[in-house]
Amino acid sequence: MADCQETLNELESYLDSELSEGRANEIITHLKGCTDCQGAYEFHADLRTAIKTKAKNEELPDGFLDRLRDCLGDDVLGAE
Amino acid sequence: MGAREDFTDDAMQYAPQLFATALRMTRNRSDAEDLVQETFLKGWRAFDSYQQGTNLRAWLFRIMTNTFINKYNSQQRRPQETELDEVEELFLFRRMGAFDQSKMSQSAEDQMLELFTDDEVKNAIESLPETFRIPVLLSDVEGFSYKEIAEMLEVPIGTVMSRLHRGRKAMQKMLYEYAKERGLVDESLLDPQD
Repeated sequence: MADCQETLNELESYLDSELSEGRANEIITHLKGCTDCQGAYEFHADLRTAIKTKAKNEELPDGFLDRLRDCLGDDVLGAE
Repeated sequence: MGAREDFTDDAMQYAPQLFATALRMTRNRSDAEDLVQETFLKGWRAFDSYQQGTNLRAWLFRIMTNTFINKYNSQQRRPQETELDEVEELFLFRRMGAFDQSKMSQSAEDQMLELFTDDEVKNAIESLPETFRIPVLLSDVEGFSYKEIAEMLEVPIGTVMSRLHRGRKAMQKMLYEYAKERGLVDESLLDPQD
């Protein structure tokens, strides 16, 4: 089973879903029994969600998709 | 011919997310649009080399990342790892006690969403040197795996992990500074042992 230090060290890889299934289960077992590490886990999981949500919101420039289609269309004609 | 028409339709669904990432890379809307157009043209022309059934989204992001790195004469290939200050582990987590609770929402998850504005998060990402900004974007915003990012950047997986770790800590420090500027933080509340 993972201890606090190992859990905190591997929290990032765990949140990235990059640990082996066995190792991830050890981290999960530790988190279930440790309020401090559980707090750190929830904090970082929420932070990830916030960053992802906020950085994804981006308004496209007017006509962006049309211009994109047009530039591919020009390339098709140019190739023929 | 049919396959290429399919390319346009299939690829178009990823245009908005490619644009958002291009904007964080170039930090300029006009350059970002150019970068996405160039990515689509390269993808269209190289479509013969694309293997049907593999991940089109990852393939497009790979083309875009490479185009950006080459076009903008990026330092990515010869990164200066020292250009980012060392930030202590769990930087933001250890400082949450200093946030003014009266200005924060009750629910932990909402709290985090309300704590920082969209612009602060975007600025924090954009403030990272490119070496760190690109892996953070590809992982935290776009959700690519270490392996996919390593292939896109043509660096070992260990390098991706180390850049992500340092980039994320630097971003947390930046977010903390923004919160401080907005008067959300009272540092006298921090336990000196922390």
